[in-house]
Amino acid sequence: MFTFLRRRMFTSLIPLVIVLFGVFFMARLTGDPTNLYLPVSATPDQRAEFAAAHGLDKPIWQQMFDYLSGVIHLDFGESLKTGQEAAGMALKAFPATLQLAFVTLLLSILGSVIIGCWAAYRPNSIADRFSSLLSMTAASVPDFWFAITGIWIFAVVAGWLPTSGTGGVLSWVLPIATLMIRPLGVLTQVVRGAMVSALSAPYVKVARSKGAGDLRVVTHHALRNAAAPALTVAGDLAVGLINGAVVVEAIFGWPGIGKLMIDSILQRDFAVLQAAVLLTAVSIFILNIVIDAGLALLDPRVRDKATV
Amino acid sequence: MQIASLRSPRRRIAGVLATSAVALLTVSGCSVANTTQSESASPDTLRIVLPQEPPTLEPCDASLTATGVVVRSNITEPLIERNPTTGELQPLLASGWKQVEPNVWRFTTVSGVKFSNGATFDAEDAAFSIKRTFNGAIGCDVNGYVFDDSKTEVNVVDPNTVEVRTEAPDPILPLRLSFIEMVPRTTDPDAKVRQPIGTGPYMVDFWDSGQRIALKANPNYHGDAPQFNRAIYQWRGEGSVRAAMVTNDEADLATSLGPEDGAGDLGTAYVNNETTALRMQGTDAPLDDIRVREAIAYSINRDGIVDALFQGLGKPAGQLVGKGIVGYNDQVTPTAYDLDHAKKLIDEARADGVPVDRTIRLIGRTGQFPKINETIEAIQFSLSKIGLDVKIEMMDTSGQMQYQTRPFVPGSGPVLLMIMHGNQAGDTQFTLDQYMLSDGYQSTFGTTEYDEEIRKAEALTGDARQNALAQVLADEPTKIRQYAYIAHMEAVLAKSPKVAYQPNSATGDEMRLAEMTHATSSND
Repeated sequence: MFTFLRRRMFTSLIPLVIVLFGVFFMARLTGDPTNLYLPVSATPDQRAEFAAAHGLDKPIWQQMFDYLSGVIHLDFGESLKTGQEAAGMALKAFPATLQLAFVTLLLSILGSVIIGCWAAYRPNSIADRFSSLLSMTAASVPDFWFAITGIWIFAVVAGWLPTSGTGGVLSWVLPIATLMIRPLGVLTQVVRGAMVSALSAPYVKVARSKGAGDLRVVTHHALRNAAAPALTVAGDLAVGLINGAVVVEAIFGWPGIGKLMIDSILQRDFAVLQAAVLLTAVSIFILNIVIDAGLALLDPRVRDKATV
Repeated sequence: MQIASLRSPRRRIAGVLATSAVALLTVSGCSVANTTQSESASPDTLRIVLPQEPPTLEPCDASLTATGVVVRSNITEPLIERNPTTGELQPLLASGWKQVEPNVWRFTTVSGVKFSNGATFDAEDAAFSIKRTFNGAIGCDVNGYVFDDSKTEVNVVDPNTVEVRTEAPDPILPLRLSFIEMVPRTTDPDAKVRQPIGTGPYMVDFWDSGQRIALKANPNYHGDAPQFNRAIYQWRGEGSVRAAMVTNDEADLATSLGPEDGAGDLGTAYVNNETTALRMQGTDAPLDDIRVREAIAYSINRDGIVDALFQGLGKPAGQLVGKGIVGYNDQVTPTAYDLDHAKKLIDEARADGVPVDRTIRLIGRTGQFPKINETIEAIQFSLSKIGLDVKIEMMDTSGQMQYQTRPFVPGSGPVLLMIMHGNQAGDTQFTLDQYMLSDGYQSTFGTTEYDEEIRKAEALTGDARQNALAQVLADEPTKIRQYAYIAHMEAVLAKSPKVAYQPNSATGDEMRLAEMTHATSSND
């Protein structure tokens, strides 16, 4: 198991290093921050002074070296906009995204297991058709449309929910519902497919022949064996949720890392963007390791295959 | 046996997941929710939702719309203020002003005014604020816009008198000073501040970066206490969300709305002094030929854009400033929409060897005004009908600014740039210096003769000034034609029925909280 994890960590580190370098160069491709932070009438001297004060006048390789040197010492620089430590801003925003992603994923898993099992157990039932509708909707409708439509229906017309913000439990409903559509649709299809296979497997027939009831067959026999593919997909979805809640956070004013990234791109706030992306990448790295470890624990064949 | 061996880890994972869920839900229920106690509705709190977070609250950057709307006349105040309705200058922290020599103005500061930190305001603070703004090294935004980087000498004559000496006679210096917010002499002279101190009715309570800014009533305010003790600013990028926050009673005021954002009966339209136009980069072929620029102006269906895209909120424009600005020319009419004439001009240019087939870049800024995408697409369609090859490029603010201000992107080729100019200063000079002079920060070309005409007009005062500036504006389409004017814009503000407030042309840049009252106690 240790060897398996060591190998997985090593292979997962490669994309992390790519992100480390990539975000540095990609951030600089977004443009010169001088245009945003100095008045339109700034003289060449003022522009040069601004560039020198923020190290933007150095050759790109020197800036890269300074950045890497800072990362090694856990110094991610300061925000051009606020003057605060970039790492502090990223760390402050990250829990909000994590909370949103976790609750979304948890509810998606619960929902998909219920709907997926029901659909698999009763093909062509209402649940089966609902699961197909969910998956088609998830694949074809963009998040922002759900968000805006949800606001219009539930906040403006019905007045049941707040439009945005973080002012209590009700304010979680629309962002989570918006974020849930895709994972719920995808997971439901995965659970349904896995359950259809599992329910037709010989060990289920054996269990039935021994007198096991429907509920016990589904929960104790079929679902356990259908869990591995669902967990794999859930892991990928979790990564997507952490990384991709950008639109939802921006629309709902959710103070997460996605909104921070968007703001820092628009503000050419390189240090904050780099810190936010790197923090997200490290989190995804850790999450991937945890998922791999979970899968290896569930299925010894996974770790055996990896350590061969 | 194998199944049994798997049970334990599975249960462990399930246990860890369940525990994590409970922990995270608990944490989420606390940490995120607790950040918003201040958002709760209170009769004494104004809740305002803006399109974006102010990049700074530095008073010397208050000419930036996003900063000024929070800072100006709420946290800090100028010596003199311009009445947005009448255009007249009114005393605020200066009780009077006088031109004592052609290039010297004297300002008498009022007595008995204190800053929110308890320090007394006097001429020393006024001199400090003026010096810090336009002779300092901190690169104030207001400097280039209002003062054109001219050097100015500021002297304190006595505790209640400050004297400003300019290099050349400046007939509108008091108007320029209305852009300088007064700060105490203890303010950092070499660095910009995030939480300013001023003499205004409000002071900064806290700024939760990325989330909200809270103001509270200034206990040392020299005027009548505002009706609302607190103000909370939030920001949402989506106009429909901002409007919905007001209709859903989550906010009392929402700004920068489009007609389609859904404010309904709570929406109030008002003229906001903004004018949209296409700036044509006359340094590159084929835009260096005035017939091509003329043809572009003729191909814009201004009435159609205003009626169909802006839903009537606006008026077709024939000049870059709106009504109420000194110099506005009420005789100038918008260029007619005439595709046949436009096509004829293009054909003439082509016959003379002008490379009219060259691709022209049409650059716009995402979200600059409601329906900008559709407006730009409509213009591109018209231009294609007169035989021009136009490629649309939408950019964010920073990207678009590289094309809007000097130094321009080298080798950019022929560019049509969508601009929106708001002259909040009330005098056409502020527009001409930036947008019309050959070397203006936002101007791509001009002529020596036209520059001379501008300079002569700007040196005048009174009726002569008005007439000369009006003539300059009338001459631009015939002598230069750098701009294809589109529309004088109107904005929509959503307002809760609980709040009484009448927006005016300055509201987008300077939204005075002290003018907002409880609806029941107002005649509004």
